[in-house]
Amino acid sequence: MAIITMENLKYKYPGADHLALNGITLSIEKGEFIGIVGQNGAGKSTLCQAMIGLVPQFYHGAYGGSVKIKERLAEKVPVQELCEDVGLIFQNPFNQLSGARDTVYGEVAYGLQNLGIRREEMKARIEKVLKQLNIWQYRDRNPFDLSGGQMQRVAIASILVMQPEVIILDEPTSQLDPEGTEEVFRVVDQLSRTGKTIIMVEQKLEKMAKYCDRLILMQDGKVVDFDTPEKIFARDDLNEMGIQPPAFVRISKQMGLVNADGTYPVTLESTVALFEQQSCDTDRIRGVRPEGKRTARTQRSEALFQMEDVSFSYQKHVPVLEHLHLSLDQRTTAIIGQNGAGKTTLVRLLKGLLKPVSGTVYFGQEDISKKTVAMLAGKVGYVFQNPDDQIFKYNVLDEVMFGPLNIGMNQEEAKEKALKALEMMGLSGKEKENPYDLEMYERKMVAIASVVAMNTDVVILDEPTIAQDYPGKKRIGEMIERLSGAGKLVVAILHDMDFVAENFERVIVMAHGTILADGTAEEVFAGDAVLKEARLQKPYMTQLIERFAGR
Amino acid sequence: MKNISLYIDQGSWLNKMHPYTKLLYILTAIMIPLTGGKLWLFPVMIVSSLLLLASGKILKRALPLVAFSFTLIVVIFLIQGLFNHNNETVLFSVGIITFYKEGTLFATRIGCNILNMLLSFGIFVLTTSPQEFVDELEKSGFSPKFGYVINSVFQILPQMMATKDTITDAQRSRGMETEGNLLVRTKAFLPLISPVVMSSLINTRERAIALDVRGFGRKQKKTWLYDRPKYKWDPVIRVILVVLMIITIVWRVL
Repeated sequence: MAIITMENLKYKYPGADHLALNGITLSIEKGEFIGIVGQNGAGKSTLCQAMIGLVPQFYHGAYGGSVKIKERLAEKVPVQELCEDVGLIFQNPFNQLSGARDTVYGEVAYGLQNLGIRREEMKARIEKVLKQLNIWQYRDRNPFDLSGGQMQRVAIASILVMQPEVIILDEPTSQLDPEGTEEVFRVVDQLSRTGKTIIMVEQKLEKMAKYCDRLILMQDGKVVDFDTPEKIFARDDLNEMGIQPPAFVRISKQMGLVNADGTYPVTLESTVALFEQQSCDTDRIRGVRPEGKRTARTQRSEALFQMEDVSFSYQKHVPVLEHLHLSLDQRTTAIIGQNGAGKTTLVRLLKGLLKPVSGTVYFGQEDISKKTVAMLAGKVGYVFQNPDDQIFKYNVLDEVMFGPLNIGMNQEEAKEKALKALEMMGLSGKEKENPYDLEMYERKMVAIASVVAMNTDVVILDEPTIAQDYPGKKRIGEMIERLSGAGKLVVAILHDMDFVAENFERVIVMAHGTILADGTAEEVFAGDAVLKEARLQKPYMTQLIERFAGR
Repeated sequence: MKNISLYIDQGSWLNKMHPYTKLLYILTAIMIPLTGGKLWLFPVMIVSSLLLLASGKILKRALPLVAFSFTLIVVIFLIQGLFNHNNETVLFSVGIITFYKEGTLFATRIGCNILNMLLSFGIFVLTTSPQEFVDELEKSGFSPKFGYVINSVFQILPQMMATKDTITDAQRSRGMETEGNLLVRTKAFLPLISPVVMSSLINTRERAIALDVRGFGRKQKKTWLYDRPKYKWDPVIRVILVVLMIITIVWRVL
């Protein structure tokens, strides 16, 4: 029985010159786990918002066609009523908290109170859902004091507890570490098995392929295809649509592993099964390398940064980093670890935004505690995780020129560097646009360009791939290579292990404020015990090689 | 997270008292000296508020409130003592400066009034959780939207303050000096305030959606997670306060 039906749905945002949704007709069955995939700007989030009535009730604009949820028209039924049947979880956990409750328990109860649920039932539901999402132990904490991953689980709990039949998740794991991501997918999968209908937008296509029953493939506001992950990822035109198929499909294609129906395996298990079934030679897998994979430099250059016995804490007696020794040379370096492992604290110390409680951080030969952040700005660039923390100019070019001008470049030089940086980040032609009119993924590129334009010796990136689709990630990978080729040190904090393996020469694993491992991607991802302790997952390619090698 | 609420849970009888009873106390404390018209009624109420604060183990926390009002009271004494239009009787002179009795008396009355109000409000603010107060208001029929505004101030304002710190770091990282003379700080104002305002607006839009999808604003009776434990002395205290107010009014009329 169809729980959601759409008939020729069309929608245009106020002031826009093109349709965000263009003639969408589809139906979703009760209990299905549906994924929505497509390039940024394809209309995925808009489609989600139409399913809960926010389009057109909240966003207004031109609307045509219909969306029915259990025979109720989404455009007519107020969102506050429709939320009994449909729940929406989105990307930024911070903005999903009501802001009206000072404990996790109270926060999760908030929606139930609005629905008028009886007290005893409320308590039973809250306990169940908090335990299900493994956040029962935080019930008396202020939700705003939790980490991003924990906060997102509170946001998910707040919707699950309302027991809607349809749950829509719009990139819910983009700010989570690999384990947090897997946990969200597992919970959602369990819900799907209990008869809930799940609709999920995600860039993590390997996970989507593993869990989804069917995928909606979108481009330019249209549904291009609606089929099983195997069928969708077997399409030849995915690259043209800005989609990189899951790692297993790419590897299978390279190895010539094809299912009987002409599709490719989309999960680790199905790839291994097909491999065994076709009795392939295990040596074939070793010849397959991820595209764009860089060869790690083994010869170290002179150390740019030196951390000697550095300890740091935000509060007395709660150490975040303890007796850290680290030397960074020119090799591109990725720092990986769970949320709360101390990664951001470490790079903030390198940038001089934080001063160590004990120990010394040297940049070259200089102790950076003797310099102000602004004094270091010409040498060390730092791109913050959230681009909205820095954007303030009314056009993109001025925004990108702000840093170069601050560090003493003249107008011509600043403009030249800014235009070059914008070109590198794929923003040529957007110089005159207001950054706030751009999408989140583009604003992130503006923030990166504004630091790249400063031409610093070191560029630190905090989660650069958040909200990026395949073309965006590819561009960031190319940027890292170009900067490194120009003799700059690039340090990045990342949760995307495949991106790490493909783009970085050195990988540092952090957990509980200490460094657990430090080496090339191959060395680090071979260390099972370390990865387990740091609660990280291996890149898909490594997982596959190990399975074939019978480890 | 930095907490901007002054509320402290000491488990005292004042914490257990219903917020409305405490509001009634504020009304009584302000009304009695004003209705009674006698200056000595102010010190009586001030002392009673101080005793209540001490019994609730929050006298120390109330001192900043007194310190805050002190500057204001001194200024009032200076202006009224020197320049009140009814000034006739010289109280004392320091060089060419002369203080007058009428102005000083007037300033005493205003000063006592301010101190009295602050201390009685202090009892309420220091012993009442904002969330609990809003819940009680909503239970009594106040609009949830009004309640949300009060509640969210205590949660979201500290978040905005934290965002401002991150934004300052982001701009310092791009070479902007945020510390120094007035000119430097003025130049830093726009790069700091614009992202704070813009991110707040973006956050507000998303939060409005988040509230909608959690049923905020439904035309349905809300339910509550907890009932406030009844404090047995609430009715007695309320009766005493009302009786005191009536006595004052009767005394004044007679």
